[in-house]
Amino acid sequence: MPHSFKLPPLSLEQFTLNNGLRVVLDRDDAIPVVSMAVYYDVGSRNERDDRTGFAHLFEHMMFQGSENVPKAGHFQYIMKAGGTMNGTTSSERTNYYETLPASQLPLGLWLESDRMRSLAVTQENLDNQREAVKEEKRLRYDNQPYGQIFDLINSMIYKNFANAHSTIGSMDHLDAASVEDVQEFFRIYYAPNNAVLVLSGAFDPAEAKELIEKFFGDIPSQPTPPAIDVEEPAEVASNYSEWQDPLAPFPAFLIGWKTPKRGTDEFKALYLAGKVLYDGDSSRLYQKLVKGEESVIQLFGFTDERRGPSSIFVGAIPKPDEDISAIRETIMNEIRDLAVHGPTPAEMEKIENQLLNDAVRTRQSSLARSQQIAEFTLYDNDPDLFNSELDSLLNVTAEQIRLNVAKFLNTENRALLDVVPAKQAA
Amino acid sequence: MNPEFRKQPPAPLSPIPFEISRPFETTLSNGLRVVIFENERLPLVSYRLAFFAGDIDERENGHGLMSAMALLLTEGTENYSSQQLAEKIERLGASLSAHSSFDFTTISASSLSFYTSAIFEMLSEIVLKPTFPENEIDLYRRNLLENLKFQRSQPPFLASEQAARLIYGKHPYSHVSLQPADVEGITREKLRATHRSTLIPNNAVMLIVGDVRRDEVIAELEQHLDGWQSGEKPVRNFAEVPKRTQRSITVVDRPDSSQSNIVIANSGLDRLSPDYFPALVMNQVLGAGASSRVFMNLREEKGYTYGAYTRMDARSLAGDIEATAEVRNDVTGESISEFFKEFERIRTEKVGAEELLDAQNFLTGVFPIRAETQEGLTTLLLNRELYGLPEDYLQTYRDRVSAVTVDQVQDAAQKYIRPDEMAIVVVGDAASVVPQISRFAPTIEIFDTEGKLVESR
Repeated sequence: MPHSFKLPPLSLEQFTLNNGLRVVLDRDDAIPVVSMAVYYDVGSRNERDDRTGFAHLFEHMMFQGSENVPKAGHFQYIMKAGGTMNGTTSSERTNYYETLPASQLPLGLWLESDRMRSLAVTQENLDNQREAVKEEKRLRYDNQPYGQIFDLINSMIYKNFANAHSTIGSMDHLDAASVEDVQEFFRIYYAPNNAVLVLSGAFDPAEAKELIEKFFGDIPSQPTPPAIDVEEPAEVASNYSEWQDPLAPFPAFLIGWKTPKRGTDEFKALYLAGKVLYDGDSSRLYQKLVKGEESVIQLFGFTDERRGPSSIFVGAIPKPDEDISAIRETIMNEIRDLAVHGPTPAEMEKIENQLLNDAVRTRQSSLARSQQIAEFTLYDNDPDLFNSELDSLLNVTAEQIRLNVAKFLNTENRALLDVVPAKQAA
Repeated sequence: MNPEFRKQPPAPLSPIPFEISRPFETTLSNGLRVVIFENERLPLVSYRLAFFAGDIDERENGHGLMSAMALLLTEGTENYSSQQLAEKIERLGASLSAHSSFDFTTISASSLSFYTSAIFEMLSEIVLKPTFPENEIDLYRRNLLENLKFQRSQPPFLASEQAARLIYGKHPYSHVSLQPADVEGITREKLRATHRSTLIPNNAVMLIVGDVRRDEVIAELEQHLDGWQSGEKPVRNFAEVPKRTQRSITVVDRPDSSQSNIVIANSGLDRLSPDYFPALVMNQVLGAGASSRVFMNLREEKGYTYGAYTRMDARSLAGDIEATAEVRNDVTGESISEFFKEFERIRTEKVGAEELLDAQNFLTGVFPIRAETQEGLTTLLLNRELYGLPEDYLQTYRDRVSAVTVDQVQDAAQKYIRPDEMAIVVVGDAASVVPQISRFAPTIEIFDTEGKLVESR
């Protein structure tokens, strides 16, 4: 039974190269593949207010070639070696990752090191990728019903510009960017001392260390990037806003709360409160609203974990002609109940089993392991949090969940975004 | 300074072999085929109970019955209400769900291995004792009507609806979605009849992957599925996929669009076709990935799109091949023109030996990556069962990919990429799109987002 079950810890080896690159090795020979995750400590939180969208544009530039790798060569090399790869940008970091047959470890290290030391920042690449980013923005945001609501609510929750602005950014800012701007951004943030490299999977650690030293060891370090301030007052920036969405077929709403930062006991308790409220068909809000009142078509919720003030959201697409304020009332009533009575023993049992299940699942995939380890290394400088995270979540008590729901969710200090189909409003 | 070792990609290390062993297979007395793949790596188990009957087998009974039957299995049984089922499963940290596709109906579960017994009990409960409560059917129907409206706001849905109609004609693969009028036909009586005739043990396979012991699994199945009666397998006898003789253009007018969703399609091959591997490799060269030709052209060279791909869908009875991209309005015509250039090139010029090898190396290299998680491995094992692929399919897959020749790729391109009969579908702003694309085909039809034909010329 799970109460006596202990997940064996990963044995992680951490070291730092002379140039400041932090490296973690997570060996597991079960399947002959290797994943590598390179995380740079730069996200939209680092952007200037006249250069938003830069961190993300840069992610595109990283696939445009470097001294020894031709334009678009990165993904061609990976794919013809039988690998998969990608990169993503968030408020917190920009990450690059690949999974390869174990024998192709040197190729992955060569590719990642070449772009870390010698990215080709040219006008042609910049122009081309600006266009790709504009298409990405049209695809994911402008041409999608409800595509812009998450960016909008962040600007209602956060007051600090570093937290409040979107990762996709302003197309005007991108158009105004010069090659020199991009080169400068690369020099400051894409330095070995501002990055983490994690290998997970099948490799010989001594051989891997040698290869890492060979490919990354001579990349020069750079001065520490400028410090940033992500502090926030406790109050949300705006309590209410209405968004006329020209593509939305139905009204919808999104409620967001500001929470303490990731890794705190408060954030962990709220993450588990979220599971009770909106995770799965047995969750409270699903049973009240989708079943029960039968008033919503779709219900969703999630936490956005950041190194600074973070957030938690609940949203719904109500059925036409439903009283939207009554639905919100039900949500707040359920939050109030959780703030007064806390989760039930059955809900705590569910949380325990779901946490165990999630932890076991994450361990299957070398890519998932490398990414989680990279986050703990970059944000907390402690890869072993990968091993202790499960216990620290299992140790959260029903009373802690109750208290934190009372303090952070059962409050008027929240942001409400109403989405109104623009055709209907017109 | 550029040290010599950086100038060329480094040589690989010695390869580590990877083999998927053959699973244990048996058949229970009621005809249920059981496949067990024991793997103790982590305390996890994945379960699939799949039936060789799907949406295409509904026929005259009414559209939407199979998917409704599957989705309602977990909404009430003789012993548990919908809420009790959800609570029982989720309290174990497990999942249990059912859905139908064109060809199959599949019940999927996964759990920590401590809970195997409980999962078998719940699985048998929803397979053998669903009650299809009236209130749940009513809720399902009302939600379905809203979802049918909702999907009309999604450009990819609007494009796929038209493409399927144009490619499959009267074949049931043409029905990618229900019409609101179909929803009324979803009644308790029909759902019960669909359940009785479809969920039969002698037309199914039960696959269990993970930290289990085969003798225990078989004992559980014998206990929980006791009394499950075999029945009559459905006969599949459908209209032919029509032979198209010329290109056509179909525009779905979505006036607020800031992009055009382009789909260019023709019919393809079924999953057991002897051309499958040549076509798979050909599709990899042409457009399956980010290093394929259409992506390199439309995104990396031209900057028209965030992504351009080709996709090959090979089902039990037939299939299709389609090229897709979402592009900004003013380059809709140019984008289609580039797609056709790539279609011509792969038909008329032989692929280079290196480009062929690159595509093959991708397909063989990602194979172990796909098998890395239990879900991934389960999908590979299940697909072999569902499509009736050869017994050694997973063991020989990489050899079959590597055996494809340059000539076979060209043959596959000439057979399955047929520019003169392609259906071109564009979801976007008709006023700006139509003038750019009317040159590509002799006919053009314009639909609204409700699926109504508004103009034909």
